[in-house]
Amino acid sequence: MRKIGFVSILILIMLLAACSSNASGSKGYPDKNLEIVAPASPGGGWDLTARSLEKVLTDENLVEQNINVVNKPGGGGEVGWKYLKSKDAHTLAVNSSLVLTNNLLGQSDLTYNEFTPIATLATEWQALAVPADSKYSTATEFLEATKENPDSMKIGVGPGLGNDDHLSLVQAASEFGINPSELNFLVYEGGGDVVTALLGGHVDAVTTSLSEVKDQHLAGKLKILAVSSDKPVEGIEDVPTWQDEGVDMVFPHWRGLMGPPDMTEEEIAYWDEKISKMVETEQWKKVLDNNDWESFYKNSEETEAFLKEQNDLYQKLVKDSGMMK
Amino acid sequence: MKTMKLIVPFFLILFSIVMLISSFNLQKANLGNPYGPIYFPAGISIFMLIFSIIYLMQELKNIHKENPSIKLMLSGRTPRLICVTILFGIIYSFLFERVGFLISTFLFLGALLFFINGKRKWIVNTVVALSFSFISWYAFSELLGVSLP
Amino acid sequence: MDGGSFINGLMIAIEPINILWIIVGGFLGTIVGMLPGLGPATAVAVLIPITFSMNPVSAIILMAAIYYGAMYGGSRSSILLNTPGDGSAIAATFDGYPMAKKGQAGEALAISAVASFIGGLIAVVGFIFLAEPLANFALEFGPAEYFLLMLLTLSAIVALSIGKMVKGFLAMMIGLTLSTVGIDTQTGVYRFTMGLPHLSEGIDFLIVIIGVYAIGEVLYNFLNIDQQKKDKKKVGKVWFTKDQWKRSKWPILRSGPLGFLIGVLPGAGGSIASMISYTSEKQISKRSEEFGDGAAEGLAAPESANNAASVGAMIPLLTMGIPGSGTTAVMLGALIMLGLRPGPLLFEQQPETAWALVNSMFLGNIALVIINILLVGLLVKILDTPAKVLYPIIVLLAFIGTYTLSYSTMDFFLLLIFGLFGLMMKIMDIPIAPLVLALIVGTDMEQNFRMAVLSSNGSLGIFFSSGVSIALVILTLLSLFYPLIIKLVKKKSQKNTDQPEQVYKSS
Repeated sequence: MRKIGFVSILILIMLLAACSSNASGSKGYPDKNLEIVAPASPGGGWDLTARSLEKVLTDENLVEQNINVVNKPGGGGEVGWKYLKSKDAHTLAVNSSLVLTNNLLGQSDLTYNEFTPIATLATEWQALAVPADSKYSTATEFLEATKENPDSMKIGVGPGLGNDDHLSLVQAASEFGINPSELNFLVYEGGGDVVTALLGGHVDAVTTSLSEVKDQHLAGKLKILAVSSDKPVEGIEDVPTWQDEGVDMVFPHWRGLMGPPDMTEEEIAYWDEKISKMVETEQWKKVLDNNDWESFYKNSEETEAFLKEQNDLYQKLVKDSGMMK
Repeated sequence: MKTMKLIVPFFLILFSIVMLISSFNLQKANLGNPYGPIYFPAGISIFMLIFSIIYLMQELKNIHKENPSIKLMLSGRTPRLICVTILFGIIYSFLFERVGFLISTFLFLGALLFFINGKRKWIVNTVVALSFSFISWYAFSELLGVSLP
Repeated sequence: MDGGSFINGLMIAIEPINILWIIVGGFLGTIVGMLPGLGPATAVAVLIPITFSMNPVSAIILMAAIYYGAMYGGSRSSILLNTPGDGSAIAATFDGYPMAKKGQAGEALAISAVASFIGGLIAVVGFIFLAEPLANFALEFGPAEYFLLMLLTLSAIVALSIGKMVKGFLAMMIGLTLSTVGIDTQTGVYRFTMGLPHLSEGIDFLIVIIGVYAIGEVLYNFLNIDQQKKDKKKVGKVWFTKDQWKRSKWPILRSGPLGFLIGVLPGAGGSIASMISYTSEKQISKRSEEFGDGAAEGLAAPESANNAASVGAMIPLLTMGIPGSGTTAVMLGALIMLGLRPGPLLFEQQPETAWALVNSMFLGNIALVIINILLVGLLVKILDTPAKVLYPIIVLLAFIGTYTLSYSTMDFFLLLIFGLFGLMMKIMDIPIAPLVLALIVGTDMEQNFRMAVLSSNGSLGIFFSSGVSIALVILTLLSLFYPLIIKLVKKKSQKNTDQPEQVYKSS
């Protein structure tokens, strides 16, 4: 009998706890510990972005409050962003184009405009690479051959369709007059597997982030045919951009920061000030350098416009790719 | 007792049928072979169904053989122990993020200890529950930097 | 290999601060490996913020030490409590736990530490001389070869369930079914996620391991908890017997290279290595009927293999910058943050770093075998803890371990469901390992099969198109039919000679 009593006390505590969770005052923002949500497991790209932010903001004394990184992996970011939506302005989350594509692909009900854009931080570029002994030496040659016989060209991509690796080639192909839904993609589990497959000659080409293949290119193990940047990339100036190849596109693979819905003007202004200072620090530049990222800073207002423009682009790309009918 | 032996095979047959039906109801792929995502789960479910049926027949054949584990499971305080542990686990899951790690863990571990180890050893129980929830909180949250609620 | 850099690397590795990191990492890895659900990937990941302030060489040495330290630690809980901490420690339950039950816990812990040590040494030597050719060998593995490797693993499972074939197959089918949950990579279609974003990346096999093993084991022990005697259990000596060593010597030496080779393949890793080594040892052993009943070699072989595999996994990471496992992926991310980029240029541009790591693995294995043997005496004390206190603690550790996997209490419910499931399987005597292994390899097996068929435009000939794939097909067939052949041969010889079978006396 006493056990039942004990259980009911537990349940009572639970109910009490459920009722008394939300209480926040707002004197000077921020007035308590800050949280940066990495919607991924520790060690992944988003996690490292979040931890770098935390480290630079703290080390450079830009933010006085404690910053904690919180990992909420799952659903390609959705779990973390849902969590963000339920929090107040002391929680921010790292994002990337998945915040747009999850919804466009019908995998999530969350849309980007349910959140407050804070900043766009950095970008990587996309690369199209072929084996070192491939008969194609330019991107144009490759696309010509693909155009003739799209089915025969095995293209490696990872870790899932609808990501930037995939969609950047979709855009290039459709600019070139190829129907992207006819491309023959083999989907590998991650960027590393894609490169292994290319090195082993199991695919004819791969589309992936530049950092995955840059060293391999320098070591002569494979050839990068084109990068998606607007100007040649430092270190591999010999590799043409898509624009050099006559394909009119610039495709950033960006990372940004966003906050929960309905942040106030002053809260946004706070972050605009802090982040714009942060991106100028030596330490942040070192982070960019180590990761092969490029600075891509946009403040909250610019980011809002950028996201809108990106969303329109992705909508078209997702449709072109044939993933949604 | 005899019917207990058949619960697992029956459950597996049911599970295979559900999986088979839902395999065929999977969304078709827009790219590549539209049935690509369906073949594997459907094939596996069919195999699973076949093997569950063979398994059921095996159990039916041996229905008179006693399974000592089932007898044990249904005797003494075992069924209560199992149910209560699961129940505490469920309560813990609800408490975990609401009242925080330390308190919920102390309550959970304490409750389990009192229930399993008995009320008479309340000193041991309390000491273990207190020290263990604190040590684990310290080790995970402070030393390893895992973000606990 | 370049002698000068090798010596320079050794010099860096034996700097006192790096020795300290090796010991700290190895110790931490051992502890973390013991706890259910907390694997090397988690341990490395949570240390990332700490490594931010270290120099890159020390950081990689520390992370590698955690990685193989966890391989040592993983089997501790398998042996003592029948609850593996990670996929690669599953095979250690097959014979390690029966040994502990027979009162040979001390021997089991000691021999597995020594086996891990030897496996690790073999692999480090292999690394020094064979890194480059092996990296190229790994590239030979395309989707078809990976599919066949997974198939070989599954056929090993079948060989494991001799005597209860139907139940073994059934468990495997359940595992494969569970592996289809989540997004289908080839097409992006969501399968069986029931609308939960949490499930879109599939059911984490670690949750299933913790559920069916740890929770399942605790629930199963409730069956006779009040009958369990209070007297001190025998834990045996803290060192193994000569006879056990004689039996394990060759299995250890064979499994080391095997595990190393499998470890080099990106994506294969310790679980597959230990499983294949266990079944192949079982099949070629003259005493195969003792396997699963506490045979020392059945514990030593997979232990040697999984530790060798963890060293092998460093090859694609260092020579190509390609992470072959969850842990090495996390390590790669951390190293990039530190400005050290493993890849084809590492050995050219920073040879001392690479060789420092290789040498540190050598030292690390020595440190670990000492740490682990010293811990034997302490660890067997766990068995002295009254069961009624121990079980609640295991349950709690299972919950915490689960939480660190994805920081969501949703997983607690999965944990409980699989715990109940594990209980029912134990009661109905359905083998558990096939389920877990099928879940681990299921997704890769399906996706690689489909990629292989896609890339050959629908022809199945691709599965016989390379030397590697034909070898794998032959191995698979062998592992399926070898027990049958042996049985036939034995029956014949038994009829002919009519000798009574030797009875092995267990000490």
